[in-house]
Amino acid sequence: MNTRRSFLLFALVFLSYAHPAMAQLDPWEFEVYGYQTVPRGMLEVESLNSVVLNGSRHGEKGTSKGTVPSQSIWRTSLEITYGLTDRIEAAMYVNLAKPRGDDLQYAGSKWRLRGRLFDQGELPVDIGWYFELAYKRTPKYDDQKLELELRPILQRDIGDFSFIVSPKFEKILVGSEEKEGWEFGYVSGIYYRWMRALSPGVEFYGAIGMMKHPDPTRDQQHYIFPVVHGEYRGIEYSLGPGFGLTHGSDRTLFKFNVGLEKYIGAIFGPSNNPLF
Amino acid sequence: MKLILSALSLVLLFAGSPAFSAAAQDDVLELRYENRKFIPQTLNVPANKAFKIKIVNASKEAIEFESYKVNREKVVGPGETVTVNIPALKPGSYDFYDDFHRDVPEGTIVAK
Repeated sequence: MNTRRSFLLFALVFLSYAHPAMAQLDPWEFEVYGYQTVPRGMLEVESLNSVVLNGSRHGEKGTSKGTVPSQSIWRTSLEITYGLTDRIEAAMYVNLAKPRGDDLQYAGSKWRLRGRLFDQGELPVDIGWYFELAYKRTPKYDDQKLELELRPILQRDIGDFSFIVSPKFEKILVGSEEKEGWEFGYVSGIYYRWMRALSPGVEFYGAIGMMKHPDPTRDQQHYIFPVVHGEYRGIEYSLGPGFGLTHGSDRTLFKFNVGLEKYIGAIFGPSNNPLF
Repeated sequence: MKLILSALSLVLLFAGSPAFSAAAQDDVLELRYENRKFIPQTLNVPANKAFKIKIVNASKEAIEFESYKVNREKVVGPGETVTVNIPALKPGSYDFYDDFHRDVPEGTIVAK
């Protein structure tokens, strides 16, 4: 419960700032990463999807970062992840988008390393990390070309509940905003372990804009997603509606992610080092 | 950013302190996997006390020790031994299984 309180306090402090800028949120990835990484030697193929049911008819509004409006857009990302060690996984993504009345189009690529420190349960809060590079040459979807994203991941399990808090720090490396500073956002979730095939949860995604000059609260993006998730016959899924909480957010979205894991063989042996 | 990095450094620093490494002093139970079954099939543990399971994979195939209710999963390659921290459990039964071979009989952790 302390984790939850800390998160709410953290969110309130950032929401209280107000300066103009452009909030960033990755609408291709409505997924909360917890402490657990893809197990060593496992290959996971995932399809991450979201549809904006009630968004904006103008570009650069809501989840749109380019000229293509968010209304009715279907975003899909193909993610392939491999468990390098017990503590580190590597992933690559191909992002695609299908705007209303248009064909499916390429919208960028991402590469990611994610890891965890120590063994699960060794610390009062399980700690992970996230390092991502996003490459885009699709200004209609995002006019920045290369972006770095760093996240600590904090997870605490209490009984059948898991609390995950993951603040996001983003920096444009190549693009018109490359001289700007770091942007801040968050990805968080609360999950209840009910059944392996079906469990409920609530996810939170948000972006406040530049750390030094956050957007006015009404222009920031904050979303809440009640979700169900689980694994059935080897297929993992997570789906649910998303609701924008501010004027700057799209009003209603729907996410549906599915994934399949297969053991293909490990490169490394068991991790004896708490860092990798 | 500096504040968060400092906080993380502190957590890592204190991770080695006695108060934070209580799990290191917990009981260790051994669980073997061979001939496509877990031995023993039932692990009896005291309730409300953290412990560790040392998993010995004596088979020639990789397995994934997993327990949904305990929220643990770990790949154990053929001939490998790994240790998994299990949190203090309320009295009850908690199943575990080899997620790579679902036909392998499930095991149970009984906390009382």
